[in-house]
Amino acid sequence: MDGGLTYQRFPKVKIREMRDDVVKFELRETDASVANALRRVMIAEVPTVAIDLVEIEVNSSVLNDEFIAHRLGLIPLTSERAMSMRFSRDCDACDGDGQCEFCSVEFQLRARCHNDQTLDVTSKDLYSSDHTVVPVDFSDPNEPAEQRGIIIVKLRRGQELKLRAIARKGIGKDHAKWSPAATVTFMYEPMIRINEDLMETLSLEQKNTWVESSPTKVFDIDPVTQQVVVVDPEAYTYDDEVIKKAESMGKPGLVEIEAREDSFIFTVESTGAIKASQLVLNAIEILKQKLDAVRLSEDTVEADDQFGELGAHMRGG
Amino acid sequence: MGLKQDSSEEHAKQNQDCFECWFPFYTFDNLSDPMEKWLSFGKQLPYDSGIDKQFLAAPIKSSVDKYQLVPEFLKVRGLVKQHLDSFNYFVNVGIQKIVSANDRIVSSVDPSIYIRFNSVKIGEPSIPRDGVSEKITPQLCRLSDMTVHSRKSYPKIRLEKKNVIIGRMPIMLRSCCCVLYGKDEAQLAELGDVDTGTTKKRIIIDSDKKGNINASVTSSTEERKSKTVILMEKGQMYLHLNQFVNKIPIMIVMKAMGMESDQEVVQMVGRDPRYSDLLLPSIRECAKHGVYTKQQALEHLEAKVKKSTYSGASSEKVFFLFFVRVRRDSFRAKCIYVAVMLRRMIDAYLNKDTMDDKDYVGNKRLELSGQLISLLFEDLFKSMIEEVKKRMDMNMARLSRSSRFDPLQYVHGDSISAGLERTLSTGNFNIKRFRMDRKGMTQVLARLSFIGTLGHMTRISPQFEKSRKVSGPRALQPSQWGMLCPCDTPEGEACGLVKNLALMTHVTTDEEEGPLISLCYCLGVEDLELLSGEELHTPNSFLVIFNGLILGKHQRPQRFATAMRKLRRAGKIGEFVSVFVNEKQGRVYVVPDGSGDKNCSILKTGSINKRCVYIASDGGRVCRPLVIADKGISRIKEHHMKELLDGVRTFDDFLRDGLMEYLDVNEENNALIALYEGKSTPATTHIEIEPFTILGICAGLIPFPHHNQSPRNTYQCAMGKQAMGNIAYNQLFRMDTLLYLLVYPQRPLLTTKTIELVGYDKLGAGQNATVAVMSYSGYDIEDAIVMNKSSLDRGFGRCIVLKRCSAIRQKYENNTEDRIIRPNREGDGAGRMQILDDDGIAAPGEIIRPGDIYINKETPIITRGPTVSPAGLPDRAYRPSIQTFKGPEGESCVVDKVALFNDKNNNLCIKFSIRHTRRPEVGDKFSSRHGQKGVCGTIVQQEDFPFSERGICPDLIMNPHGFPR
Ligand SMILES: [Zn+2]
Repeated sequence: MDGGLTYQRFPKVKIREMRDDVVKFELRETDASVANALRRVMIAEVPTVAIDLVEIEVNSSVLNDEFIAHRLGLIPLTSERAMSMRFSRDCDACDGDGQCEFCSVEFQLRARCHNDQTLDVTSKDLYSSDHTVVPVDFSDPNEPAEQRGIIIVKLRRGQELKLRAIARKGIGKDHAKWSPAATVTFMYEPMIRINEDLMETLSLEQKNTWVESSPTKVFDIDPVTQQVVVVDPEAYTYDDEVIKKAESMGKPGLVEIEAREDSFIFTVESTGAIKASQLVLNAIEILKQKLDAVRLSEDTVEADDQFGELGAHMRGG
Repeated sequence: MGLKQDSSEEHAKQNQDCFECWFPFYTFDNLSDPMEKWLSFGKQLPYDSGIDKQFLAAPIKSSVDKYQLVPEFLKVRGLVKQHLDSFNYFVNVGIQKIVSANDRIVSSVDPSIYIRFNSVKIGEPSIPRDGVSEKITPQLCRLSDMTVHSRKSYPKIRLEKKNVIIGRMPIMLRSCCCVLYGKDEAQLAELGDVDTGTTKKRIIIDSDKKGNINASVTSSTEERKSKTVILMEKGQMYLHLNQFVNKIPIMIVMKAMGMESDQEVVQMVGRDPRYSDLLLPSIRECAKHGVYTKQQALEHLEAKVKKSTYSGASSEKVFFLFFVRVRRDSFRAKCIYVAVMLRRMIDAYLNKDTMDDKDYVGNKRLELSGQLISLLFEDLFKSMIEEVKKRMDMNMARLSRSSRFDPLQYVHGDSISAGLERTLSTGNFNIKRFRMDRKGMTQVLARLSFIGTLGHMTRISPQFEKSRKVSGPRALQPSQWGMLCPCDTPEGEACGLVKNLALMTHVTTDEEEGPLISLCYCLGVEDLELLSGEELHTPNSFLVIFNGLILGKHQRPQRFATAMRKLRRAGKIGEFVSVFVNEKQGRVYVVPDGSGDKNCSILKTGSINKRCVYIASDGGRVCRPLVIADKGISRIKEHHMKELLDGVRTFDDFLRDGLMEYLDVNEENNALIALYEGKSTPATTHIEIEPFTILGICAGLIPFPHHNQSPRNTYQCAMGKQAMGNIAYNQLFRMDTLLYLLVYPQRPLLTTKTIELVGYDKLGAGQNATVAVMSYSGYDIEDAIVMNKSSLDRGFGRCIVLKRCSAIRQKYENNTEDRIIRPNREGDGAGRMQILDDDGIAAPGEIIRPGDIYINKETPIITRGPTVSPAGLPDRAYRPSIQTFKGPEGESCVVDKVALFNDKNNNLCIKFSIRHTRRPEVGDKFSSRHGQKGVCGTIVQQEDFPFSERGICPDLIMNPHGFPR
C-alpha cells in the first residue's frame, strides 16, 4: 500500500507425489504459522458428509443400537459434493430439520442372515439415495470381488439388521467422523552437514557404529569410497541420537543438523472421502474464506487503526 | 470411568471408574519372549565372553522347558479349584460322615422306636414350582434371585423304607452337583453360563485359623469340638476348659487321669531339674487343695463342672484334648499329650528363642467353603434331630399309642433349608454348638470385572480384626514363598492381612486318617502306650505327630520319612499328605493373652516340635507342585514334556509317575529347591516349575514387574480389578444391578504368560493407547492426563453402562393381586407412557428419559381382610402405582432387555436392564498397567495435539512429572 515494509510473501509449493489418497509436497518460503494453519484446516474444517442420524427398525444383532450407529458414523462417504452442500443447521429448504436433498443424503441398510455361515454386514450393504455420496470403496479392482467394504456387524443365522440413516455435512471440529484427513503432518526440512575432515578420522568400524546409532536410516556408508553419506535427510526425526553418539565418541561437531524454518514437507493422507489433492485445495479455499470473513467484518474496518498494516493487508493490500 | 471429579476418594468404593490403557511406546530389545528374559535373570554368564550382545540377547535355553506344565496344571486344577474341591468333598464325603455320626433319633419314651438315617444323597438341582420340581440352570436362578438348590434325601429303614427330603441345599456353581459339572465349554454356552475360570454366586471367605488342630488346642471330631488351653499364671499351670467354671490346676487334672505319682509326671515332662523346679509350684498347689488320689481329684473336678443340661455327666466324661482317643479307659495318651504340652511351655518359659513364629504359614489353615458349610450343616442337622426327638416324645406321651404312629412326619427339612439360606445370605455364622460367631463370612462375588472376580476367588481374609496396629502379621513372610502372592494385598487397614493365593497353590481337603495311622505303625512307629515317661524324651528318638496327635516315637526318623515319601510318590497314599522332619530344638510360641501381664500368657503349642516327624493329612494346608530332583538332576526329561505336548501325558501322570509332587509349607523346610535346573547342586531335592508362579493372578498380569518399584505392583494388583472391559462370556445376558462394559476392549500388545493362562487375552479389559509423555496445557498436573477428542470420537474409552430396575406384581393375602394394564395412548400422562408396549411394560430398544414410566402397574386399594375374587374387582378398586425411571438428566438411556419370571413366592417379577453408552469425560480415571492412575484433566481437539514427523498423534498425554522415580 504505502511504501513501507511489506510482510507479504509468496510461498512456493512443489508437489513430490500425488495419488488419490496421499499427497506429499514441499511448502517453501513461508513460516510455521501458515503451514500449521493449513494443517489445522485440513484436519478440522474441510467439510465432508457422514452419517449423523440413524433410525433403527430391526436390530437383532449382538451389537446394540448406539454401537451400530457409532460405527456407521465412522464410515467415510465420498464427499466431493460436500463443499457445495448446505449445513443442516442453516438450510432454508427444511428449516434445519436436516432431511432435505440440499443438506442430507439418505441411506438404507437391510441385512438378514439366512444360513449357518456368519454374514458380514459391510459398508457395501448401505444403499444411498444419491449416487455421488456412497461409502468409500477401498477394494482393489484387481483383487477378487470377495474383498468387501468396511465391516459394520456380523450376523448369525436368523439375525437381522434394518435401518435408515441420514448423512449430513459437517466438519472435523464437531466430530472426528467428518474429518477427511487420516494423517496431516509436516516437518521442517532438515539440513545435514557432515564434517568430512572429522569423519575421516574415524575408522570404518567407528563409522558403522555411528551410522547405526541413528534410529532411522539417514546415513549410509558408500561401499566404494567408504565415506559416510546422507542417503535420506528426511528420514531424520530430530532425535539428536547421532549428535549424542558423536559426542560420546569424542568427536563433537561431527555432524551439524539444522531445521530450515521456512521450508516444510507436508504429508497428507485422506480417509477417502475426498482426494488428498482436493483436500489441500479445499483447505486453502476455506482458509481464504475465513480470511475474507475477517476482512469483511465491520469490526475489522473499525479496528483498522489498531491493526495498522495487518488490517490494510487483510483488506487486500 | 463413571464418576465425576468430585468423587475424589477413589478407593473408597471399588467403582468401575477406571480403565486401562497400555503403552505400546515402551520399547524393549527382545519383545519376542520377554518372559524368557526375566527367567534368565541370575543365570550365570561365562566370564571370558566379554560383552557379546548377541549372546546377551539370545534367550537362554532352559535345559527342559517346563512351562507347559503350568497350563496343564490349571487345566486339571483350575484357578479356583480349591473352593470346588472343598465343596465336593463336603457333598461326597463330609455330609455322609456327619449323618452317620448322628444317625439315630431314639425316643426317650420308648427306646424301641427310633429313626435311623441310612445314607444321604444330594439330588439334582431343582426348584419346586406349583408342586412340581423343575430342573434349573444357574442362568435362571440368576434371573430369579435364587440360589441353586438341591434336595437332600435320605433313604431310611425301620418303618417303611422311603426317601425323605430333609432339606434343600444351596449348591456351589460348577461343583459336582451342579448342572455345569463335567460339561465342556460348548455345552456350557448352551446353558447360558460360561466364564472361563469358574462361576460362583457366593463365596465364603477363607479365613486362616491360628492355633489349629495340628498345633493343638482346638480339636474336633465328628461329635464335638473343644478348645483346650493350658496356661501359666504366677508360675503355676492351669487347664482352662469351657466345661469348668474356673481354671483347674494342672496337677489335679493329671491325677484325675490316673497319674497319682508326682514323680511320674515329672519324668514324663523331663528329668531336667529346671523342669521340675517349674513344676513344683503346681504340685504344691495341688497338695494345698488336699488332692492326692485319683478319687479326690475327680471329686474336686466334679464340684467345678458347670451345671449343664447333660445332668449326671461325671467328670470322667469331661472331655478335653479329645482327639486323643481313650482306649479301654486308659488316659495315658492324654497324660502324655498334656506332659508334652507342659514341656513345651516350660521350654518356652526358659528360653524365649524357642517361641514359634506365629505368622508362619505352615501353622495356618485355610477354611474353605466346604468346611464352613459342613460345620453349618452339622449344627442344623443336630438341631433338627433334637427337634424331632422332642416332638416325637411329646406326641408319644400324648397319643398313648392309640393311632398308627409315624415318626417320619416330624422329619422335614424346613429348618435346615432356612438355616442354610439365612446364614449364607447374611454371612453371619453363629454356631453355638461350636462356639463360633463370625460375621461377614460370605461375600457376594464381585462381578464388576473378570479379573476382579478371579482375584476375589483367590483372596484370603484373616479371622481377627483388622484394626490391630501390629506390623508382624502384615509383613511378608518367608514361608509364603510360592504359596501366597507377594504383591497382591490391599492398601490401608487390611494391608498384609488380606492375601491372595499364588498361581499354582492348592489348598488341601481332609483325608482319611485311619489307614495313614496304621501305616505309620507298620513303618516302625513305637506306640505311645508302651513307652514310659522316661523313654519319651530320650535324645535320639523322634516323636511322630500325625495331624497334631502324638502317635508314638521312631528311632530312625529320616528312614521313616523317606519311606512315607516313597509311598506318596508311588501313589499309595494321598498326594497331599505331607511328611516333615523337624530336627531343630523345640519351638513353641506364647501369645500374650491381652491382660498385659507378662506372666500371664496363654500357651499355644504352635507345634509340639522338638525333634519330631510331622505327618499331615488335614484340610486347609496350602501346598504347591514341584519337580522332584535326584542329586540335583530333574526327573522330568525332554521326552516327558514332548509326551505332554502330544497329549499322551497329563499333569496327573507326572504325579503318578513320581516326577512331581506337592509340598506343603512344612515339608518345604526339608527340601532344597532350585529355581532352575541349571542352578541346582547335588543337594537339590526339588526344582521349581516356573518362577512366575510365585505371583498370583492379579500380579501376573503386570508386564515386567521386576522393573517396577515394588509398591507399584501392589497398586496395580488393586487397580487391575477395576479395569473395565469384558466380564464374562454371558455378559450380555446378565441382569446385574450394575455392569460396565467396554465397547472396544482390546488384547494387550504385550502379554504375559499369566495373561494367557487366565484367559485375560480373551476376556480382556482396557485398550492399547498411543501415549505422549510431555507436559501440556497445565491441566495435567498431579497425575492428570490430557485426552484427544478425536480419539474419543472414534471410540476410545467408550463404555456401556447397564443398570437394572425391577418391579414385582405382588399377590396379597385377600387373594387380590397387582395388575399391569394397557397404557393410555391419549390424554393425561400419555407422553410419559410412550415407551410402554400394549402389555403395560416398557419395550426393549426404546429410548427412556428421566420421568418416563416403565411399568404401568396398579395396586388394589384393599389388600387385607376377607378373600375377594380378583376378577370381579372394578377399576376403582385399584390405585396406580406406576414406576418411573430416575436417571440423570441429559443422558440418553435405552431399555436394553426385559426379563419376566416368577420369584420365590411365585409373584411375577419383571426386570429391566437400562443401557447407556458413555464416552470418557473430564474426571474419569485412567491407568496404565503399572499402578499409574490419573484422571482426565482436559479434552483437547486433535488439531491442537502434538504430532510427530511421521504423523502420529497420541490418544493421550501424560505428564513426565507423574512417573515414579
Ligand atoms: Zn435441508
